[in-house]
Amino acid sequence: MTELILQALYSGLLQGGSYALIALGLALVFGTMKVINLAHGELVLLAAYIAYAVESGLGLGPVFAIPIALVVVCIAAVSVYFVVSRIKKDREINSLILTYGIGVILTNVILLVWHADVRSTSSTWLQEAFVVGPLYSMRSELLFFGVSIALMGALWWWLARSWYGRAVRAVSSNRDAAKLMGIDPGRTELVSFIVAGILAAFAGVALFSYGVIQPAYGGALTVKAFIITVLAGVGSIPGVLLGAVLLGVAEALTVTLASSALQELAGMTLFLLVLFVMPNGLFGAARRRG
Amino acid sequence: MKINKLFVALVVVAYAVVPFALGSNNYVMSMIVAALIIGGVALSWALLGNLGGMVSFGHSAFFGVGAYVSAITTVKLGVPVLVAVPLGGIGAVLASIVMMPVLRLRGPYFALAILAYAHIFRILATEWSSVTGGSGGVAGIPGFPILFGFDFGTKMGAYLIALTLVVLFALAYHRIRGSYYGIALRAMHDSEDATRVVGVNSTLLKGLMLMVSAFMAGVFGAVNAHYINFLEPDYAFNALWVTLPIVAAIFGGYRTISGPVIGALVVYLADQLVFKSIMPTGHQLVLGVLLVAMIVFSPSGLMSLLRKRAVPHA
Repeated sequence: MTELILQALYSGLLQGGSYALIALGLALVFGTMKVINLAHGELVLLAAYIAYAVESGLGLGPVFAIPIALVVVCIAAVSVYFVVSRIKKDREINSLILTYGIGVILTNVILLVWHADVRSTSSTWLQEAFVVGPLYSMRSELLFFGVSIALMGALWWWLARSWYGRAVRAVSSNRDAAKLMGIDPGRTELVSFIVAGILAAFAGVALFSYGVIQPAYGGALTVKAFIITVLAGVGSIPGVLLGAVLLGVAEALTVTLASSALQELAGMTLFLLVLFVMPNGLFGAARRRG
Repeated sequence: MKINKLFVALVVVAYAVVPFALGSNNYVMSMIVAALIIGGVALSWALLGNLGGMVSFGHSAFFGVGAYVSAITTVKLGVPVLVAVPLGGIGAVLASIVMMPVLRLRGPYFALAILAYAHIFRILATEWSSVTGGSGGVAGIPGFPILFGFDFGTKMGAYLIALTLVVLFALAYHRIRGSYYGIALRAMHDSEDATRVVGVNSTLLKGLMLMVSAFMAGVFGAVNAHYINFLEPDYAFNALWVTLPIVAAIFGGYRTISGPVIGALVVYLADQLVFKSIMPTGHQLVLGVLLVAMIVFSPSGLMSLLRKRAVPHA
């Protein structure tokens, strides 16, 4: 039993890597633009399907799909930005409905191009077991966990040190003050969308490499990313990673101890608990309450 | 309070002309009934958005809970259909009470939290199989009974029931909007903090609107269940029950009362009769495009766009 639980903790930890990438993209855009991109999960899923297309069409491994996924998802993210930035009135409500509509469009494009079947990778190299002591994982899980950690490191460096990274943080914390300092908020928002797209592209390829994908999955991904930001509170990268790992572990434990059908319920329950008990998130002090 | 002349004219046409003009065409009638049911959900969605200032992506939860409560009480407990339908609405209200804690959240957080709730209810309906029949669903749900010698179990019967409910709910919406609560809610729209300062319990009012909206959506879910006589979780809690009403409400103008219903008729009939025949899978793509186009070009609905065209100086 202990082994099973340990295994669940380990799998959850690895799953948390890609979850964190998705949640960080959502959080970055929310930070600069105060817009929740409800199509974010669909952007991730788009990358996953590009990986599928590259594998089934060109016979290359999903990893080789990353450049194409980056280009396509970033173009999609930039298009989302340009549509959202056209909203003038009631931005909060309208941007939600708008990105919801974009999500519907993307889901149906995926459905039209790749059909409703469930897909997963056929690469034997990626699916091969990698054993560390009593713990088991697929190679792909470990590989992409490493990639996620590296990306988060890069993101941390970018936010802390680079000009645009600082601009993103400045616009997130005080838009008007940032403007006075000579930062163009529009361009900074665009940059945050592109970075979110990059993270989504990697996360999508990762999802396809170790899991199964289907066209309707995008909405669930957006909800998961949102749950993580609620768990983490708004703010830090380590917080988001912890929140993501927490969600991954909760899901893995539910699958191990109860049933895989209840997997989603675990995340929701965790989310509601945090919402009731610590409305500012586990690690944050940001203001969300009305 | 004045009731719109257009509204009266539409109601007269709907009761007096449509049954005689289209009543013999079962296919078209079934489309219109489905469109009215979606129109009812769209109306409840717009009530929450317009009066409560809340965007809900979780109305499929209310719709599904209403459908299941009504179906189970009739099938398992033998409750008469006409009693079970309002019970479905009450079930949805109970579901909305469970959601009340999310009222503490603002804007995007509320919208996503309610989406999360919709997922929970769907999983519950699938997993709690001793009550709901699990993923196999509930079959043999009784249809509407024969009353005053008229069989409400027919397409025409369902049409009259759905139409009457839409009209009743539209009138209720109209009353709420004109009441003290409606004025307070409209004031909250401009500044919630300022409204609280003058002594309005804004959270209570928003909670009430959520309950009213849930009741309406639940009743239409119940009507739909007795109309199609079968339920399964993937159908009853389908995201379509929130996508279509949103598109309909935005298309018709969610700040008006007749807009969402007219929007539902136009959007649903166009979707089923035109787009579905052009592209059998993925025809919802058109709904997404329509939604995006409406928000970008005319967020207050097509009606206002037409009005703007007609009066260039407005």
